Amino acid sequence: MIRLDGVSFRYRAAPQPALREVTCQIRPGELVGLLGRSGSGRSTLAATLNGTIPHLVRGELTGEVRIAGEDIRSKRPRDLADRIGFVFQDFEAQLFSTNVALEVAFGPENLGVERAEIARRVAHCLDLVRLSHLTHKAPAALSGGQKQRLALASVLALTPQILVLDEPTSDLDPAGRRELLDAIRSLRQGRDLTLLMIDPETDEMGWADRLIVLDEGRIALDGTPAELWDEADRLEALGVKGFTLAKLAKALGAAGRWQDAAEAALAIRSAGWRAAPGAAERLHEADRRGSDGETLLELDGLAHRYPDGTEALAGVSLRIRRGEFVAILGQNGSGKTTLVKHLNGILTPSGGDLRLLGKSLRGQPPSVLSRQVGLVFQNPDHQIFAERIWDEVAFGPRLQGMSEAEVNRRVEEALEAVGLQGMGDLDPFILTKGSRQRVAVASTLATKPEVIILDEPTTGLDHRELQGMMALTRRLNEAGHTILIITHAMDIAAAYARRVVLMQGGRVVGDGPTRRIFAEESRVRELGLTAPPVVQVGNRLGVPALTLEELVGGLTRGAEEQGRGGGA
Amino acid sequence: MNLFLYLDRDSIVHRLDPRTKLFLLLTSFAVAVLFFAPGPLLVLLAVLLAYGALAKSLGNLGRIWVLLLSIAAVSIVSWSLFAKGVTPLFWRVTWESLGFGVGAALKIDGMIISGLIFLSTTKTEEIVLGLIRLRVPFQAAFAFSLAIRMVPTIIGTAVTVTEAQRSRGLDLESGGPLARLRTYIPLLVPIFLHTLRNTDQLAKALESRGFGAQRQRTSLLTIGFHARDLIALMLGAIILIAFCFARFA
Repeated sequence: MIRLDGVSFRYRAAPQPALREVTCQIRPGELVGLLGRSGSGRSTLAATLNGTIPHLVRGELTGEVRIAGEDIRSKRPRDLADRIGFVFQDFEAQLFSTNVALEVAFGPENLGVERAEIARRVAHCLDLVRLSHLTHKAPAALSGGQKQRLALASVLALTPQILVLDEPTSDLDPAGRRELLDAIRSLRQGRDLTLLMIDPETDEMGWADRLIVLDEGRIALDGTPAELWDEADRLEALGVKGFTLAKLAKALGAAGRWQDAAEAALAIRSAGWRAAPGAAERLHEADRRGSDGETLLELDGLAHRYPDGTEALAGVSLRIRRGEFVAILGQNGSGKTTLVKHLNGILTPSGGDLRLLGKSLRGQPPSVLSRQVGLVFQNPDHQIFAERIWDEVAFGPRLQGMSEAEVNRRVEEALEAVGLQGMGDLDPFILTKGSRQRVAVASTLATKPEVIILDEPTTGLDHRELQGMMALTRRLNEAGHTILIITHAMDIAAAYARRVVLMQGGRVVGDGPTRRIFAEESRVRELGLTAPPVVQVGNRLGVPALTLEELVGGLTRGAEEQGRGGGA
Repeated sequence: MNLFLYLDRDSIVHRLDPRTKLFLLLTSFAVAVLFFAPGPLLVLLAVLLAYGALAKSLGNLGRIWVLLLSIAAVSIVSWSLFAKGVTPLFWRVTWESLGFGVGAALKIDGMIISGLIFLSTTKTEEIVLGLIRLRVPFQAAFAFSLAIRMVPTIIGTAVTVTEAQRSRGLDLESGGPLARLRTYIPLLVPIFLHTLRNTDQLAKALESRGFGAQRQRTSLLTIGFHARDLIALMLGAIILIAFCFARFA
């Protein structure tokens, strides 16, 4: 049993406490989902459970944290390692051994467990996460999903009764996420493991026993997923996404809780809803509008081989027209990032050609190409270096040798476009991840490139930041910029992109209007991706909708049907 | 892209005790330091290449050949021009200065190749175990192994940061020395901060997996001396003595 009693924590030098008088109990065997906007105190709360706070993070902790009745505030994480396991979001930083087996052995070795027992635990834990066939592989050579399952196994080898997972799926593609969640589910069978999971995706937490929503360091909501099912408005006021299927049910005036798309579709149909006549045609017709810009980028048989022999791109041919909004989807390692790095000259193709407005880009350095093609990297911290936001954004224009007056104008414009006007004097490092991402976008925007490419722009953002970021990209698109995004968030691709390019093994294996691509659900699944819940429900009802609004708008209820509600 | 050097292969060198391999590494360093003339250093290089072939690790040379060649080129050119000699060859280059340059190139490249073979055949965990048996405290031995592990991570970060800044138009090739120094600031700041943040994460991950919980740590890997180690140690000693004999006698 975990018991928190009036727990408050203030980070050293922080003006506000990160946790305020948190009191709660978590029963053995419970699976608790911790939700909340970024900065709400989720990770801080988790860090108090194994002594990371206050022993590794400086600050002021008050209140009592008890585990199985024992006050643990004087205990360091290492003293609690055999009771509380931690899996972190960043797999690079938590895997450091030469091979998979040694990674799992590291924990028990630290605790002085006998060698034979270590070997037994390594075999057992790798079996639990289905990595037994990779014992001798280097962790660096694994896929994202495998890395995170390895991190899980390496913690399980310490035989903890409590497991804390801090955004373990954020960096994973849909297949990797599924693999990890499956592994976690199977762990709970036949053992009394208490699980505390921080996850920004409410839809992924429907199987939890209980959801706790934090807001400004306090518990704002606490209930079972069933109890919070209808609370989309309250959840979203707290910066947390509501359950998608619940929002759908509400929009259709249906009661009841649906576990998945199949169940939802069945209930909706039995409540008398049908696809409105001509709904599919209308939606497809709407897609055709505004897709006739001139060809901007042409890729012909683009190939790239890394120095170690890996064939990252095996002949990619694509046409991108001016004004398009394209999502490039595919599993980790399918070549998405390698592809876009060619478009601004960071990488040189080992075969094939690429042209911008008919002019070959081969041999053109990024210092020239960046004026036309802007690439925003996944992690803003890989590029932010200045002490003022203003200087950061001015970096690109200054490199292009613009006059100070022009630089001024560009920076002000870019800051305004991303909603950071008047904040130019702030230090970018005190901002949240979402705002740092905006600074990165602004610094690309300031050079006014025709094409803007965003590599996973929403990773690590909370619901509201994510909405803001995507609204920004839509505005940029409407202002005439051609947008390419790489993302693992299928609902974002569905809601914003008008065209989807599917990649696998360095090839384009699907390319077309978003609606048509997601209509082939099984094909999408074969590629390790998943159609978002709304799309899945729509496909089952014959409405090729990409958003909730489209789905609801495409349904009609016959007058002869009786029985409101439905649901299970 | 895999930046780690260890090769998971089965060779007699892989099976040697890490302490034996450490001894062989230090032996090769000692020989390299002893000589300046190209002849004996060429012999050392040949021995090292044979050792590498036995270790099935020469494939890794392909990953650093650019480094090896550029070190050789820089050292041969600069020593040829600046070292003093008596037998003129052409322009200011003498036979002696050229020989010294070639020797220096062989010396440095030989040491790098020897280190490469060691890291290609020895897991960092084995290095830690070996150092502990040599009475190095565990914390120090582990810190050493982490340092080795950090190198590829930092290189990876540096590559990404460089790409991100080049995407913004940063031109690393143009400008005078002072201007160039300034162009590196946008690279160094993110690399440094990112590495710092990574290290902080690593510290938390290590501690939450019980690092430092017990004085007596156990180990899944086992190391120990076998007949092959005895043979390898004797061969190493013979080579060292032979080279010393050649140098001083």
